[in-house]
Amino acid sequence: MYLPDFEYFSPDSVEEACQLLSKYGSKAKAIAGGTDVLVKMKSDLLAPEVLIGLGQLSPLKKIEYVPGKGVVIGSGVTHNEVRDSKVIQEKYMSVSQAAHHMANNQVRNRGTIGGNISNAVPSADMPPILISLGATATIVGTKGERTLPLEDVFAGPNVTVLEQDEIITEFVIPDGNFTGSTYMKFGLRASGALAVVGVAAAVQVEDGVIKDARIVLGAVSPTPVRAKKAESFLKDKQASEELFAEAGVIASGECKPISDIRASAEYRKDMVRVFTKRALDAAVNKGHV
Amino acid sequence: MSKEFSYLNLNKSASYSYVGKNLKRVDMLDKVTGRGKYIDDLKFSNMLYAKLIRSTEAHARIINIDTSEAEKLPGVKAIITAKDVPSIKYGLSPARYDENIFCTDTVKYYGDKIGAIAAIDEETVYKALKLIKVEYEVLPAVFTPAEAAKEGAPQIFEEYPGNVNTEIHLEFGDVEKGRQEAYHIRTDRLSGQRTLHGFIEPHCTIAYWKGKRVHVQSTHQSVHYLQHHIARIFDMKEGDVRVTLPYVGGGFGGKVDISGTDVAAVALSKITGQPVKVFFDLEEVWLNGRGRHGMDMKYTTGVTKEGKIVFVEAEVILDGGAYSGLGVATSYYTGSLLNVLYDFDNYKFDAYRYVTNLPPCGAQRGHGQPHPRYAFESHLDHIAEDLGMDPIDIRIVNARKANTVTPNGYEVKSYYLKEANELARDVSGWKEKKGKLPKGRGIGVGNGGFVTGAGFCMYRTDLPHSIGMIKIYDDGTHAIVYTQAVDIGQGSDTVLVQMAAEAMGFPYEDITICTRDSDLATLDYGAYASRQTLMAGWAVKRAGEDIKKKILIQAAEMLKVKEDGGYRSGKLMPEELDCKEGYVFVKQEPAVNISFAEVARAYFVKHGVLVGRGYYHPGKLGGSHKGAAVGTSPAYSSATQIAEVEVDMETGETKVVGTWDVHDSGCVVNPQLLHGQVHGAFSMGIGETIWEKVVFDEKGKLLNGNFAEYRMPTALDMPHVESLVLDTFEPNGPWGVKEVGEGATTPTLGCVANAVYDAIGVRVTDLPLTPESIWRGIKEAEKAKEKEGK
Ligand SMILES: Cc1cc2nc3c(=O)[nH]c(=O)nc-3n(C[C@H](O)[C@H](O)[C@H](O)COP(=O)(O)OP(=O)(O)OC[C@H]3O[C@@H](n4cnc5c(N)ncnc54)[C@H](O)[C@@H]3O)c2cc1C
Repeated sequence: MYLPDFEYFSPDSVEEACQLLSKYGSKAKAIAGGTDVLVKMKSDLLAPEVLIGLGQLSPLKKIEYVPGKGVVIGSGVTHNEVRDSKVIQEKYMSVSQAAHHMANNQVRNRGTIGGNISNAVPSADMPPILISLGATATIVGTKGERTLPLEDVFAGPNVTVLEQDEIITEFVIPDGNFTGSTYMKFGLRASGALAVVGVAAAVQVEDGVIKDARIVLGAVSPTPVRAKKAESFLKDKQASEELFAEAGVIASGECKPISDIRASAEYRKDMVRVFTKRALDAAVNKGHV
Repeated sequence: MSKEFSYLNLNKSASYSYVGKNLKRVDMLDKVTGRGKYIDDLKFSNMLYAKLIRSTEAHARIINIDTSEAEKLPGVKAIITAKDVPSIKYGLSPARYDENIFCTDTVKYYGDKIGAIAAIDEETVYKALKLIKVEYEVLPAVFTPAEAAKEGAPQIFEEYPGNVNTEIHLEFGDVEKGRQEAYHIRTDRLSGQRTLHGFIEPHCTIAYWKGKRVHVQSTHQSVHYLQHHIARIFDMKEGDVRVTLPYVGGGFGGKVDISGTDVAAVALSKITGQPVKVFFDLEEVWLNGRGRHGMDMKYTTGVTKEGKIVFVEAEVILDGGAYSGLGVATSYYTGSLLNVLYDFDNYKFDAYRYVTNLPPCGAQRGHGQPHPRYAFESHLDHIAEDLGMDPIDIRIVNARKANTVTPNGYEVKSYYLKEANELARDVSGWKEKKGKLPKGRGIGVGNGGFVTGAGFCMYRTDLPHSIGMIKIYDDGTHAIVYTQAVDIGQGSDTVLVQMAAEAMGFPYEDITICTRDSDLATLDYGAYASRQTLMAGWAVKRAGEDIKKKILIQAAEMLKVKEDGGYRSGKLMPEELDCKEGYVFVKQEPAVNISFAEVARAYFVKHGVLVGRGYYHPGKLGGSHKGAAVGTSPAYSSATQIAEVEVDMETGETKVVGTWDVHDSGCVVNPQLLHGQVHGAFSMGIGETIWEKVVFDEKGKLLNGNFAEYRMPTALDMPHVESLVLDTFEPNGPWGVKEVGEGATTPTLGCVANAVYDAIGVRVTDLPLTPESIWRGIKEAEKAKEKEGK
């Protein structure tokens, strides 16, 4: 395995990065941690002539809480930085845990949250939990900045709505009323395995009644999807094990998984049922975990 | 964690200086500091880098190979194909030499070797590879034994009609009589998957010629077989082939075959006149294959009321992949060791190895045994259940005893399987757990064991199996042990130095071992069939004893007991002396002593170099039936393993929560190394039971040639391992040693599968027991139950 030849730019500002992306068009590819781009290039799945490194862009590296806005996570933050961030741990341990359970330590040390999202792989681990918490993505291009709900960023397997000259600069988890959230990843071994099914749930519970619920399913549709029927089924109902189980059955009807070398569609569907039930139980009873 | 535990205490290791001790590995500093050299660390001036051109069809006739574009690429030095190399066929079973250096007419699997390119650097080689154009006439292919066996199926080799590569039909005793006597008869069918070794160092060879001699450095498990086959393939004298192996990063049976890197490096360096390094990427290790065969196994067994086996009928079908390699031996091994483990007379064994258009299968730790062990141990649990017996009791009832002969002609000296079962039962809390665990939790047992070295060389020869030599430095202060034994990580260098130290009575820390070099070290067949400790051990022990004999003779002339009041006066005889830890002393009066070094120096002054020589040949072993040789060995290990698992009844996910291994390994030279083998064996066996499987698409293209999708267990997946030894004594082994390396993998699949069965109440018959297959098994059982209810 050998990397093909390419030209490399290391822009000093987001603006310059976007200009370079615009200039080289489809010949160019942004690279953050490279844990996906380089692997694909070595395997002949990708052959950009120009790589534009986002690694030097310090504005992409912040994690902060901005009152009135929410938790801001720069796109260049690595998975281990997400995991270890006190800001994130205090507000949303569930996000820290989602980062902790992905890939392996080497990949977590290099791979970024921006790369994880922009890759738009159906089995990616960060989208479900961020979508369930209502996160938005800030997208910057040569023509300016726009903000989208994260769930609207994905257009299909490996495809986002980003224009050629655009990059994601940050994600914002807005302040909200969720009392609990969690992401359950079901992979085929304890470490270094992609999700066969990933289910995130965020809930707002008052006096045992579910006021609001969001369920996001990963690895079972072309993009991360919300189980909206299950969400509305839960609304204003008394939380109980039976209720979670029923929501699981509904959610499992809302996904369109494929069969591949990791699992069959039939199995994935049933795992959506199991993990929706378990995720709801955890989010309702344990808070942000 | 592992406990030092002596149960039987049959050997006298307590009185030894070095044998039986947890001494530091001789390669420890080299490996932990990174200063030790593996092949990828070696560089030679002018060295070219080369890779194989591989087939992109599973079965096709080569119409044309267009190398012209690649040849034009600056930096490309040579491109070779079948027409540029000897056309002689090779393999590891002389009866089935069926592999060419490069495909001559047809490619037989996706990834088959078509040629090789050498260039000035790696980058150029990769670029050149993309410029090669091969034109094929695609032929129909077969990917399973069932497809291969069909009437009118495409023929892969002319010499294997019906695609049958190996066929075995053996019967011992009288199966019909057994059938008459049986109180209960049961048949079970199970299957095992293709797996791969999972060593982290891909194959690589560097070769260069000096005049008529070629120096081959490789990643290999055997210096001798590589030397022998290179000489044979290139029509050279063995003496003109020098083989050296740097440190080897694991083998597990996958580096016994001659690899494409070996033959291509020798050919390319001859043509270019430069050193050539041929290397595999990780995926090519999968394409090179030689891992565990996929197998379908059927057992019919009859037992008495008490669970005593009265007959077994076994049928094994193997998916061999494209070439034979070691596959003939694998086929025999699938059946030959069953009645070493269990003592019964009436045994019928049939096996068929088919060639298919997939990478060739070969030997993988436990060679041919883990799948059949898995199947038979599962089968045995069902028989016990039918009889209302405890699974451990039925194993104890049938366990072979020491000093017996199997119906297929193997002499078994030490054998303590019964005791292994008893101790495993007691330390694992079996009695409190079996049948009493909640649903979803289970405990299972499996037995296994292995040969301690094969009784015969892989090709016909009268050579000894191992030769040891020890040279003492002129001043007597240091010793060099010579042997071609191959340490592939298992620690043979360390235990051989321990044994040399013990035999000579010379300090362990003053010995250097010179191995893995056909010019410098002495003959040994290398690391396969779990042979190094016993076979190279004998050779080194005898070389050490030869030294000691000479030292005692010399010392007898130098030592003097006091005239008055001593234990006796006058000239000492060598028999009255002993040597330990670097000192020669009078046995009756140890205060009278002299250092080994002083004696050795005096010997050197008088006679010249002090050299010890050791020889080992196991003698003629085994019966006279066809295939009788496979499975013969001077000694057989046995082991019992128990696993406790937790199965998520909704997802089918299995977590192994506890494991116990009790080993009848003879005298254990270095307990820490034994425990390391047991830990590794559990990791390998658990992986093969739950996760690992080599997968291909419908056109025979490999889908998971990497460690992300070929899932081996990580440290986080590993349970607590408790490794115990019985401390037995094997009369055919130096100091009473037997093997542990491969035997330890053989019970694992069965014990984990039986634990899963205990947990979920359903037998999932096909390995691996993935979450989905267990989930499916549970669902199907529920459905069947519902049907019954209606
Ligand atoms: C062994 C291994 C295991 C893995 N396991 C997992 C796992 O368990 N779960 C999981 O979710 N993923 C896993 N991955 C996939 C992947 O590497 C990670 O998702 C990682 O987060 C990607 O981030 P990166 O910074 O390395 O991306 P890069 O490889 O640098 O980029 C990935 C893609 O995103 C684009 N990109 C990067 N940053 C931006 C940005 N700011 N704006 C716009 N586009 C951008 C790039 O152009 C490229 O198309 C694994 C990868 C490997 C190699």
